[in-house]
Amino acid sequence: MKVLLLGTSSGAGKTTVSAMLCRYFCRNGVKTVPFKGSNLSLNSYATADGGEIGMGQAFQSWACGVEPCTDMNPLLLKPCGDGVIQVVVDGQPYMDMSKNVPMNREYALPRVGAAFHRLEDGNDLIVCEGSGSPVEINIMHRDVANIWVMRELQIPSIIIGDIERGGVFAAIYGTWRLIPDDLKHLMKGFVINRFRGDGSILGPGIKRIEELTGMKCLGVLPYEDLRFPEEDSLSSSSGSLEGDDIHAAFISNLDKMVDDAVDSGFDFDGVLEIARG
Amino acid sequence: MDCIKKKVNEEIQAGWIGTNRNCEYNPCHFKGQDCTFCYCPFYPCHDEDLGNMLIGRRGNEVWACSDCLFIHRPEVGRYVMSEIRRLGIESVPDPRMMDIFRDAKEKLWRPGKALMVVGATSDAGKSITVAALCRILSNRGYLVAPFKSQNMSLNSKVTRCGAEIAMIQVLQAQAAGLTAPDEHMNPILLKPKGDDVSQVIVCGKPYADYDVKGYYGEFVPGPGRDIVKEHVDFLKKRYDLVIMEGAGSPAEINIYDVDIANMQAAKIADADVILVVNVEWGGSFAYALGTVELIPEEDRKRIKGIILNNVRGHTENLRPGADKLEEITGIPVIGIIPHAEIDLPSEDSQGLRRSHSKGNGKAVIGVVKFPRIANFTDLDPLCLEDVSVLFVERAEDLDGVDAVVLPGTKNTVSDFRWMCENGIADKLRSLRGRVPIAGICGGYQMMGSILDDSNGIEGGEKRVYEGLGFFGNKTAFGEYKKVVVQDEGHLKVGDLGAIKGYELHMGMTEVTEPPLLVIENHFDTGPVDEGSVREDEMLFGTYLHGIFDKPSFRKYFLSFIKHDGVVHDTSEVRSYDDIVDENLDKLASVFEENLDMDRLLEIAGVVR
Repeated sequence: MKVLLLGTSSGAGKTTVSAMLCRYFCRNGVKTVPFKGSNLSLNSYATADGGEIGMGQAFQSWACGVEPCTDMNPLLLKPCGDGVIQVVVDGQPYMDMSKNVPMNREYALPRVGAAFHRLEDGNDLIVCEGSGSPVEINIMHRDVANIWVMRELQIPSIIIGDIERGGVFAAIYGTWRLIPDDLKHLMKGFVINRFRGDGSILGPGIKRIEELTGMKCLGVLPYEDLRFPEEDSLSSSSGSLEGDDIHAAFISNLDKMVDDAVDSGFDFDGVLEIARG
Repeated sequence: MDCIKKKVNEEIQAGWIGTNRNCEYNPCHFKGQDCTFCYCPFYPCHDEDLGNMLIGRRGNEVWACSDCLFIHRPEVGRYVMSEIRRLGIESVPDPRMMDIFRDAKEKLWRPGKALMVVGATSDAGKSITVAALCRILSNRGYLVAPFKSQNMSLNSKVTRCGAEIAMIQVLQAQAAGLTAPDEHMNPILLKPKGDDVSQVIVCGKPYADYDVKGYYGEFVPGPGRDIVKEHVDFLKKRYDLVIMEGAGSPAEINIYDVDIANMQAAKIADADVILVVNVEWGGSFAYALGTVELIPEEDRKRIKGIILNNVRGHTENLRPGADKLEEITGIPVIGIIPHAEIDLPSEDSQGLRRSHSKGNGKAVIGVVKFPRIANFTDLDPLCLEDVSVLFVERAEDLDGVDAVVLPGTKNTVSDFRWMCENGIADKLRSLRGRVPIAGICGGYQMMGSILDDSNGIEGGEKRVYEGLGFFGNKTAFGEYKKVVVQDEGHLKVGDLGAIKGYELHMGMTEVTEPPLLVIENHFDTGPVDEGSVREDEMLFGTYLHGIFDKPSFRKYFLSFIKHDGVVHDTSEVRSYDDIVDENLDKLASVFEENLDMDRLLEIAGVVR
């Protein structure tokens, strides 16, 4: 089973919602691992086998109760300043790319696909995370983590929309609209994240988006003032974090998020149904 | 009336004078106004486009036109005086004056247009865009007014007439070169009180409290729409262009029919609409397209342009995407605006939450971040000084600070209890006399010895609290009544310099301390002392919001700061108004350089 979480923007909550799904399914005996086809991040983690992956995937891996490995993030892009980005493939530095030196996609992309297929062996569910917004129409042809992964690996997808800044219906609908037509059949669901207040007011809007897109609303997740590892440079790192062991503290925050999601009636079964394809 | 006629005759003798830069009140209406007729030669014109009949104090009818700007428009003052000369009129009354009025109005008056700026999200940059357009168009000689039908904000200001409106409309009015913003520019102000409930301020006065359902279920279908119409129409009659600001996203389809802050307001004002999208977070094309397409077709037609805002890096990188967006939506992208480093007051608490520390200097000013903090734009001038402003929520965060400010709060008693429970109150007591501490409004009330809430107005519970005890003052929340007033005066300490601000508070304080300042503009009472000071203990308190805006008090307060034994250098302290004005110019030029201005003027409908 496999599912891809796409965001309406950076910071929409892809990383934490992916981690939450990892945690929930792990707690319920589903053998789950995280995957992110390509990660642009300054915060990386060294795996036991001496490779480098994005911090987000390490965190999601802990949520699954398994040791992080390089297959979970086979392509890591690390900005080094002055427009230079170090390209890490399968955990090892491969090249520096810049405006005039594009990434060698012929080399990198088959390895991204191969890593995913290795994860499929021996696991029940792969929770994949996209990157930024999947529909930046000026650079969509260069995308890996969203459009390439979706098309190449045919992964059913869910959009995460952040309601905190407003315009969430427009963001979800607009994202769906700009997804290429040959991939629309993979767009299965959406989640409204970081909601405060009385959820019943959203009802008519959710229904309308379901009608317009054919996607199913899997739930409205409550706003959580909890701290998780910093993924990319834009995320703010506020929120509470208690205890001495940072690793355990993140997981305990995640457990709280899972419990709150269950209480809010989040449709975890619906996610599995989508992941089954 | 005879007195006015005498003044008008003096004006006729003096002839055309244009803008009177020698007048201490200039500009009393707007930058570049014509002062030839300080007193209107047509009073009372009884023209409903320009004024209206009011019932006076004695029950008599009075023609009211203090908001009329017609005679102060440069082209009108000049025309009227030239006609008076041409016809050889030497004094009023003269029957030919009304002929001049009719001609002037026919030639030079037309109802204004409205242009609306909506955003794909709440921090899309609407407010800043409106401010920039106000400045650009005002510089080009248009008389422009900002307008936001409904604003949810904790930062408000008091107008000349004692009405409470959102801070950001005051800023936009300043951008438009207007001296006295009024309640028409923000007729509905929602001040969140917590738990989904907001105090609704209508035309600058408290109206009622509503929760979300009550607001959309009762207020909007009731008086809401009419309020928007009345005030936007009022402004349209007086200005060339009303630049309206939306709220949040206009495509919240769950509340679309009752959302009087966005497309409904555009419909009411017959305004064309510009959509602003913040590209910083990504997904901007999706946000733009989704917003456009979720708006019903009849309203969608009003959207005439898209602005991609806050671009870091090269704006031309976005052009291919912008072209595709134009192709799909059929709406032109009229501007791709780069991110600009600009210091302007921030509208909502979002900005406050994101940046825990502003400013750059080594000396640290700790600002207690009350859960119900309000009017925290008071702190903005400090953020421009060579200090770090740190918002603190825990007692230990006050360790090592060089000064403390207790800001305003929406609820003094509740926030005081919060401060006692988490140890901040004790911490402040231990800092007394060691670092300068200033309290504003609610923070000032807390610095006293007693907070008397025996009617349970503030905290719900009927109780009397012991305050911080820095001052002997006693504050009583006797009844549900709010003081809303603009103040001007001068300090009684430091350089005795001018201060200007406004009061917005519940509760009355019995002051036992020497006053910090004296207020001189309350004509009915004469000068009154205000605030409290204990200079030897570096304790300062005042009800005045905006106390840091003018340089005097800021300089005075900062002069008590000693960081690593070094007294803070206050030689460069400047007026915050001037700094804001420079930043508005900077902002306007960034927009002007990156906007298709011809297109914008065409959309606004003000092409001459």
